[in-house]
Amino acid sequence: MLDVARAAAIEGLVQAGVDFVSGLPDGWQRDLHEAIEHDERFTYVPVCNEGVGFSVCAGAWMGGRRPVLIMENSGLRVAAEYIARISLGTGVPVLLLLSYRGDIGETEHWGIPHGIVVEPLLDALRVPYQIVRDPSELRQGIKRAQRLAQAQLHPAAVLVSGSCIWDD
Amino acid sequence: MGIDRYEGLSRLAARLPDDALVMATYIGAVSFEWAHLTGEHPRSAHLGQMGDVIGMAVGLAIALPHRTVVCIDGDGSVLMELGQLVVMGQEAPPNLCVFVVDNESYESIGWGPGGVRRPTATAGRADLAAMAAACGVPYTATVHTVEQLDTELELAFSAPLCRFLDVKTQPGNAKVPPRQTDGFEDKYRFVRHVERTEGRAILHRAEQDRQLM
Repeated sequence: MLDVARAAAIEGLVQAGVDFVSGLPDGWQRDLHEAIEHDERFTYVPVCNEGVGFSVCAGAWMGGRRPVLIMENSGLRVAAEYIARISLGTGVPVLLLLSYRGDIGETEHWGIPHGIVVEPLLDALRVPYQIVRDPSELRQGIKRAQRLAQAQLHPAAVLVSGSCIWDD
Repeated sequence: MGIDRYEGLSRLAARLPDDALVMATYIGAVSFEWAHLTGEHPRSAHLGQMGDVIGMAVGLAIALPHRTVVCIDGDGSVLMELGQLVVMGQEAPPNLCVFVVDNESYESIGWGPGGVRRPTATAGRADLAAMAAACGVPYTATVHTVEQLDTELELAFSAPLCRFLDVKTQPGNAKVPPRQTDGFEDKYRFVRHVERTEGRAILHRAEQDRQLM
């Protein structure tokens, strides 16, 4: 993630009132995880898989925190089990911030399946999402996704790609 | 052979501090039994399913470090997502105590002629307390008797320490009525209880409507 995008993401999370972060670091958002870990405005709980991360976020929300799950879009497949059980089943909002591997511009072959699956899977889970390919849209995108998640008591997602990742 | 589960749960219910919060499974008769024993008090969230109860309890305990958080889960559910033990050992919130009601079977799916249940891996070589200890959970134990359970309950609520207790229970359900609420109602009841007892807003507030007032 480019520095400008990372800064915008953090500003967006703070302005959205997010104070609890779980997730699994990936190649694109590694720096973001590191910045959040050292930022006192957030409680950071790294996990070994995104399903556990989603459950931890859901529990934190029930305790009054405002969580975000930061992960690669591949992690959505892992988290889907608990997005379905907890959010579709009981109505719990968790903001999702995903790297959009396999999007236009992808360089790595292994990212292709992640791109194929992510949007149909978000639709299957009834998670509204915004794809942000310009860092100037990232702060607002995160704030607005959080507003929607809180209003609908269901997750909403921001996917980052394009000029948030590449300066080409 | 384990303890009678209803007896074990009744001892936990009797010892539970009034201001504790409980993240419990809603799967199976254990949920009916716990609800019956506690009068469906909203301090218990019957929101856990398979593989998410401990994860949610860890998040809840971190969010509310001044509250005692108890987790009640089944062996099949814990086995479904062992990564929960990793985060439990990693964070080790001292206000969290996990009780696994371990009947070594998938009992909520029913049983065949003669009462034969489908076993879980804890009927074999899988040892949940050992797994939790290997993940760094500070205090772990496998409980086999009522006397041992009483001792663990005394310890659990006398000093804050992150604990994982694998309580071996006998198969079979107490004859109590099934619960009648769904997950959405259970979520609202629990979160409203947290809001009231913490004096904070968690559920959504309608911004546009507020401007009318």
